[in-house]
Amino acid sequence: MKSIWENYKTDVAYDELMYSEFQSRPVSHQLCRYLDSLNKEDIDKRKTAAELAIMEMGISFTVYSDEGNIDRAWPFDIIPRIIDAREWRIIEKGLKQRLTALNCFISDVYGEQAFIKDGKMPGEIVNSSKNFRKECVGMKPKHNVWANICGTDLVRDKDGIMYVLEDNLRVPSGVSYMLENRIITKRVFPELFQDIDILPIDDYPTHLHDMLTSIAPHQNGQINCAVLTPGIYNSAYFEHAYLAQQMGAQLVEGNDLVVNDDDCVYMKTIRGLEKVDVIYRRIDDDFLDPEVFRKDSTLGVKGLMRAWKAGNVALANAPGAGVADDKVVYAYVPEMIRYFLNEEPILPNVPTYLCSNPDHLEYVLEHLAELVVKPANESGGYGMLVGPHATTKEVESFREIIQKDPRNYIAQPTLSISTAPTLCKSKLEPRHIDLRPFILQGQDTFVTAGGLTRVALKKGSLVVNSSQGGGSKDTWIINMEDK
Amino acid sequence: MLSRSAERIYWLARYIERTENIARLVNVHMNLLMDLPKGVEMSWRQLILINASEQIFYEKYNVANERNITRFLLADDTYQGSLLSSLTAARENIRTSRDLLPDEAWEQVNEMHLFAKKNLETVANRRHRVIFLNEILKGCQRFTGLLSGYMSHNDPYAFIRLGRNIERADMTSRILDLASLLLSESRSDEVRQYETILWMNVLKALNALLMYRQQKHSRVNGDDVLNFLLKDQNLPRSISCCISEISECITKLPNNGDIPTKISELQNYAQTINTKETTQAQLRGILDDLQNKLGGLHNEITNKWFLIITE
Repeated sequence: MKSIWENYKTDVAYDELMYSEFQSRPVSHQLCRYLDSLNKEDIDKRKTAAELAIMEMGISFTVYSDEGNIDRAWPFDIIPRIIDAREWRIIEKGLKQRLTALNCFISDVYGEQAFIKDGKMPGEIVNSSKNFRKECVGMKPKHNVWANICGTDLVRDKDGIMYVLEDNLRVPSGVSYMLENRIITKRVFPELFQDIDILPIDDYPTHLHDMLTSIAPHQNGQINCAVLTPGIYNSAYFEHAYLAQQMGAQLVEGNDLVVNDDDCVYMKTIRGLEKVDVIYRRIDDDFLDPEVFRKDSTLGVKGLMRAWKAGNVALANAPGAGVADDKVVYAYVPEMIRYFLNEEPILPNVPTYLCSNPDHLEYVLEHLAELVVKPANESGGYGMLVGPHATTKEVESFREIIQKDPRNYIAQPTLSISTAPTLCKSKLEPRHIDLRPFILQGQDTFVTAGGLTRVALKKGSLVVNSSQGGGSKDTWIINMEDK
Repeated sequence: MLSRSAERIYWLARYIERTENIARLVNVHMNLLMDLPKGVEMSWRQLILINASEQIFYEKYNVANERNITRFLLADDTYQGSLLSSLTAARENIRTSRDLLPDEAWEQVNEMHLFAKKNLETVANRRHRVIFLNEILKGCQRFTGLLSGYMSHNDPYAFIRLGRNIERADMTSRILDLASLLLSESRSDEVRQYETILWMNVLKALNALLMYRQQKHSRVNGDDVLNFLLKDQNLPRSISCCISEISECITKLPNNGDIPTKISELQNYAQTINTKETTQAQLRGILDDLQNKLGGLHNEITNKWFLIITE
């Protein structure tokens, strides 16, 4: 009988679990031993069980297409991705450090702008940022934290080092899939949870709720938290409902809320109007309040910014926090850490060329075919160029796009991001992965044990976004010290 | 509780109840037809009469035979009164109310929906249809049981009970309507002969045969069945019992205004229906009236709790 590992290639990139086809890394010894005890039929059965669970639990995400929105089952790979807890503790520290510095930076941007005045970053970058909201200048959110929920994307390059690829500070999504992935894995491989010391993750909603109550305008009596969703047609609606349910918070749409003359936010309930203290909003700044931002927004709440500025409601993340979620600002994060915290960055950035800088631009245009070029403000993997995988025509058309609007583009070397064994037709093959841990900051800072591992299911592909053929895996942080 | 959530949950309960009722109706009608001799003037057509959907049916189909009617009532996703459409609407309502209900309730509805979609084609065949309908009935009961056992009996639960009982009272009145229709339309001796079988099947449609026997200690006869299904205070599917449940929920809910008074009036109306001195035709008029009054109650609920005036 052929092994499921046959011809497993570890020479394409750093593999998270394997040294080679025949040798596992220490973190995955137990998993591999267990997988070897199963035959192909067993493994197929587990895969089918996982698919059935996903269907029955109704875990889905919405794909926008010409034929309308389709609810798709969440693509999931049953083989977990594993990280040693000793490594994780360092990453966790690095993530906390990074978000703390980012929040200092945002406070500074809407306050004194000392970082700019001291010459650490050109002021032009902030002034020209789409996500800089002049309406927020002078605001002081509780604990001086603007970005309360952050999803930071990490990738491991062939040197084995984890790099920060980007910080998602607007409305990062994916945490519900992280939680559901664990539930499914527990159903599919219950035996493994007996023998391996895997850190639990299911306390996330509790921490989220604690964080939200810690930023409420008042701390006496009951604090009403609500999750504000754009509605059932949003691709992450499943997640909004899931988190609201797990926290016991109200799931509200813009139409359910109203801001009265007293500048307080109320929700329309069967008992009449009830005051809301904290809103975990899953709507972009642009659509938050038609009184201040986009006038045509039907998703938001008229007067919400008034209520927020009057200090009557807390918004997470705070409006304007997205100013630090910009791939140009990203390049300055290591400097922020040094400047605001007087520390050396624990997690390195990927080297980044800013097209707004003439020297960098020249280099970028000369090396387009080797680089990854990204727009500064898009998410979801849209509008980017992966040089080595692009046709000459695509490269040339990107050259023009960049020259027209250099501020809006950055370039990075094409990383050889790490792989992990993924089940492809009863056989394991390496597929590229990233990792999105979630960091919460209010009165305290919390990092999920692991995060959402996204996997590019197509052979050779580096794009892990679910909207573009990506899937996900359970992520295990395992304690190995007693072993 | 948000007004919007209250509305969705209320409709969720109505759609689940409707799904269950359609399954019961088809099931019982099928049994009834098996009991009756060939040639008796009773057909599948009556099923679309009580749903008031004859016109829509004939826009899509030519012949009112078993195959077409069952397809129309169970599997037609373009007819919004079908079992599949009701189940789909229930799923959509629970998908958007997951923050208020236990996970298991969502999973139950989702599984049932997957099951229905997968087995739609089998309903053409009688044997498979029986299995299909039983699965659906069990699924709906599991849903009801789950909520009763897992959920706090709070405001959301009150809206579930409200929706369920309004839908249920409506369906009971329609089934009684069907029975009256059969008896008034086709009073040939041959049908009269089978009257007992007809009333037994009506009781079965509402899971009430055993309870009827325990209560009445008599052979099944039309008048007793009518009274039992209209006025009994303990049978879950009797109209009076549904109204009592509705009343109980409404009393618990905030800002109920004059609705409790209106419900008392409705209860009195139901209790004073005199089945002995009415003809079948008059009875159909009374049942029609009941259905309209239930519709009025629905509007009151909508205005009171679902549409909140903000200023």
